Formats: sequence, structure tokens, C-alpha cells
Amino acid sequence: MMPRFVLMPLVLALLAITPAPAAAKDVLKVAPDVTLTTVAGQQVHLASLKGKVVLLDFWASWCIPCRKSFPEIEALHHEFESQGLVVLAVNVDEEQRNADQFLAKYAHTMTIALDPKGAAAEAFKVNAMPSTMIVGRSGHIRYTHKGYTDKVIAKFRAQVLELLAEAE
Amino acid sequence: MLLAAAGYNWAQNQVELSFHGFQDTRGVTVLSPDATYSKDFSDRTSLKLKFGVDSISAASDSCARCHQDGASNGRFVTGATVTRKYGDSKVTVGGEFSRELFYTATTGLVSVSRDLNKANTTVAGGFAFSLNQPQLHPSESTENQRSIDAYASVTQSWTRRTLTQVGYEINQINGFQSNPFLRTRLNGVMTVGNAPDARTRHALSARLRQALPAETFLEVDYRRYQDNWELRSHTLALGLSHHFGETVVGGGTWRHYTQTGASFYEPSYTGTPRYFTGDFRLFPFDSNSVTGRVEITPKGGILAMPAGSTLTLQYERYRTTTGFEAGIFTGGVRIPLQ
Amino acid sequence: MMRTRLALVLAVFTGLAAAGCATVQPWQRGLLADSCMIFDANSATAYMTHWQESREGSMGGFGVQGGGCGCK
Repeated sequence: MMPRFVLMPLVLALLAITPAPAAAKDVLKVAPDVTLTTVAGQQVHLASLKGKVVLLDFWASWCIPCRKSFPEIEALHHEFESQGLVVLAVNVDEEQRNADQFLAKYAHTMTIALDPKGAAAEAFKVNAMPSTMIVGRSGHIRYTHKGYTDKVIAKFRAQVLELLAEAE
Repeated sequence: MLLAAAGYNWAQNQVELSFHGFQDTRGVTVLSPDATYSKDFSDRTSLKLKFGVDSISAASDSCARCHQDGASNGRFVTGATVTRKYGDSKVTVGGEFSRELFYTATTGLVSVSRDLNKANTTVAGGFAFSLNQPQLHPSESTENQRSIDAYASVTQSWTRRTLTQVGYEINQINGFQSNPFLRTRLNGVMTVGNAPDARTRHALSARLRQALPAETFLEVDYRRYQDNWELRSHTLALGLSHHFGETVVGGGTWRHYTQTGASFYEPSYTGTPRYFTGDFRLFPFDSNSVTGRVEITPKGGILAMPAGSTLTLQYERYRTTTGFEAGIFTGGVRIPLQ
Repeated sequence: MMRTRLALVLAVFTGLAAAGCATVQPWQRGLLADSCMIFDANSATAYMTHWQESREGSMGGFGVQGGGCGCK
């Protein structure tokens, strides 16, 4: 009787600890030319931001780690806006009122873009929530972060500083 | 059984306080509080502690037979689990200890879950070992019982609105399993039952959660159970829940349960049967229950509790074909902590 | 017993086979993350399960939570 009990969880344990297939190496690639609509109704063409450092953060009202990451991204915007960093917080809620309820709770000055159909998320191949991409002045995606941890904010700061220091 | 890995409520620092009460046709009224404390220690590690005083105990149904003035039969239970994330996997290790008059139980458990396919598929499994000690009241002697439990489940998102889970659990108990309190008529004399020392139990479940239009959700749960005492059962539960605005969720569930008796069940016994039982859990019966619940998350918090606190109220009415009826009430608050 | 084992094998196989078929994108999981979609959401449910197992001859069968928001 014992082997039967041990076998099943062992198989599952093996499945659990097997590493996921190695992700493709971060290859420099050009950021997709998406057009985003802000909550204010303005259109933002990503290609027109070439020459600037752009941080895109994909978030949603239903995403629990986003409750921590959203204020941190806002803090980054506050710190680096004067140095030319453009922050676009891209919301992927299907219903805008859910995004509005979230925004009413979290003070923000950064630009909020709406992507209810997920076109931008798909173009940027988002595969975790939240996801943060930092695009360099040349228009290439230089850094991609999946998910949020307290430690990642320090990395964002270091990466933004690095890219802001680069010439185009 | 505390066989649950941390799942959805990852990264939630919170305290949950609940108060349960039930009243049934035997005239028994019972109150049970419990508390659960969840804390993240880092982005990858979280702890859950549980403590409760629970009056559903092995002795509950039988004390009144001898102790007409009532008897203290509270059960205190405490447990702790630690969950750690490794990439797409979560590992939970924990234990639970409970003590009541005439019974102690100690359980150790480990479980693992892994998200696959962009979190569309979650595979999970767990293993628990329990050492239980019933005391054969009014005798002082105790018996031992060892239980090994294993389960596996697969959860799948099919569409943006559809989630299913299939699960299988097997449990093996060895040791004393007769109920030392419940009696049956053997050759005309009320006698404590005698059950086999080994029981192997299997349960297979399938569950569906479906998001319907207009913020309404459908729940369907089915379980098929059987064991080597030849007790078989089917459980079907259907539920609907709905968001009423931003702050209120209301729902109702109907549950139907039917079980056969154990192979050695008889209404009364004659001769010298090897096994015989007065334990109502081994009788054939059906039950139906209806549950209503409401969860309220007021915008400004509840009384002195912070914003995001949720109040839950639930009432279930349970009835069996053997004439047993009970009303079970739960009230609880979930308080987020910074 | 054989029928139960067969049902189990089919259920697991279907579950794993489905892993390759249905893909809800991470940004589409809003409804799946709703509190009403969670299995065994709260302590009231856990208490009810405990109460039922104290009155009935059956136990268990329900696995761990999956689905939800898939957030990292």
C-alpha cells in the first residue's frame, strides 16, 4: 500500500521541480509600433517616442502584485520624469470601470494607457502579470521583467539610469 | 484534512476570524471560533497559522446519551503551513495538531503545485500522514490509528470564463476505527460497534467554475467516493454567485448527497457477526442542503477595521433522509494587514 | 474499482492534454481571477467541509487551487 501512496506525489513533485524550458535569450529587438489611447483620450504612437527612454508597465485591477508595483512605478516616474523618462502604465482590464476603481484608490501622475483588447500586450508578448519593459533610445526593448518582487524596483532604477545615460 | 497548498491567496497579509455555530435536531447547539493568520516573509515565502476551538468532535453525538446534563467536548486545533515559491512551483510543508476529550490527532503534510502553459494548467499533489489516538472512554486505554493520504489534481483554464478541476484522493487508515461511543442492537443488547482495522478510501472529483454574463458565476462540484468497506457515495453541488455593485457578493448553493451503507451495516444484529456498527456515518442515507451567503467589503472598512476588510455571513440548512436536520451559521471577517 | 481507475486515468489525461490546447493569455485572466471563481475560497467553506465529513461517510477528493490570476 505504501508504494502507491508515495508514487503519485513523487511524480507530481518531479513535475513541480523540473525546470521550465529555458526562455529564449533576451535578444535585442525593436519595440512594436503600437498606438495606445490614454485615459484622457489622447493617442500615443510608440514610434514617435524614439530617442527617449520609455518604461511600459502592463497592469490590471485584478492583478494582486500590481497593487504593490503600481505605486512603485509611479515613484519611478516622479523621480526620473525630469530626466526625460517616459512612463506608460498600460491597463489591460476588459472593463474600463474596473481600471477606474483601481485608479481612484492609487494616486498617480504618470500616463495611463488603456489596452482592453490586449493588442499591445500581445504585440509585446506579455506572458506574466504585471510585466515591465524598458525601451532604449534606439527603440529596442532592452529589459523585460515578468512579475513583481520588492527587489526588482532597485533593478528598474539601475536600468533606467543606465539607459538615460546613453546617447541615442 | 489540512491538505491545501497556498494557491490564490498568495501575497496576502491578512487575519481571518470566523465564528461558526450549529444547531440540530438532537437539541445540540455548538459554537466554534477560529482564526487564521497569513503572512508573507518575502516575495517567495509565506506562512499561515491557524487556531480554532471546534466543537465538532468524535464525542459530540454520544455524550448526551449518558450525560444528560451535557458534557464538555470541545476540540482545539492548531496548524501551521509554510509555502515557498520556486519559479512556477509552490511547495507547502505543514502540520496540524488537535486535541479533544478522548482523541488526539497529529498530522504532517507536504504538497506541491506547478503552473504550466502560462498558468492555464496547474498540477498539484500532496501527501499527509496522521497519527491519531482515540481513548476508549469510559476506559482509560487508548488505541492508535495511522492514516496516510495522497491527492493529485489538475486545474485547467479553458477560456477566459471557464475553469475546471479534476482531483483524486486516496486515504489509507490502519488501526482502531470503531466508534467507542455509538451503539447498535446486538442480540437485543445495545453494544459498542466493531469495525475493521483497515480502511482504504478513494474520492474522485470534478469541478467547474463558469463566469456567466452580468457578473454572475456558476459553480458545479461532483464527487464520487468509495471505500473497501463498500460504502459508496455521490455528491453534487450547484451554486450561483453574483456581484451586487462593488461591495457585495451574494450566492447560494444546493447540495445533494447520497451514500450506501457499509457492507457490514444492519439496522440491528443477531448471532456473532464479526463487524457491526451503530455509527450513523456508515448507514445508507441521502442528504440535501441549501446554503446562502453574502460577502460585504465596504469602501471605508468595517467599524475599526481597515479598508479592504470583508465580512462574510453564511447559513446552511441541512437535512437527511434519516430525519436529522441542522442549521449551520458562519460569520467571519477577513482583515488585510500591511 | 476498475471503472474508477479508468475514470481517473481519463480525467488526468484530459487535463494534461488540455494543457496544450487552451491558452488564455495572461492579460485575459480578469474573470478567472474573480473571487467567485476560486475553489474553496474561504474559511466558511472549509468549515462546511469539516462539518459534512463529521456527519457523512465520505471524505476529500478536492485538490489545490489553481487558475486564478496567474500573477507572479
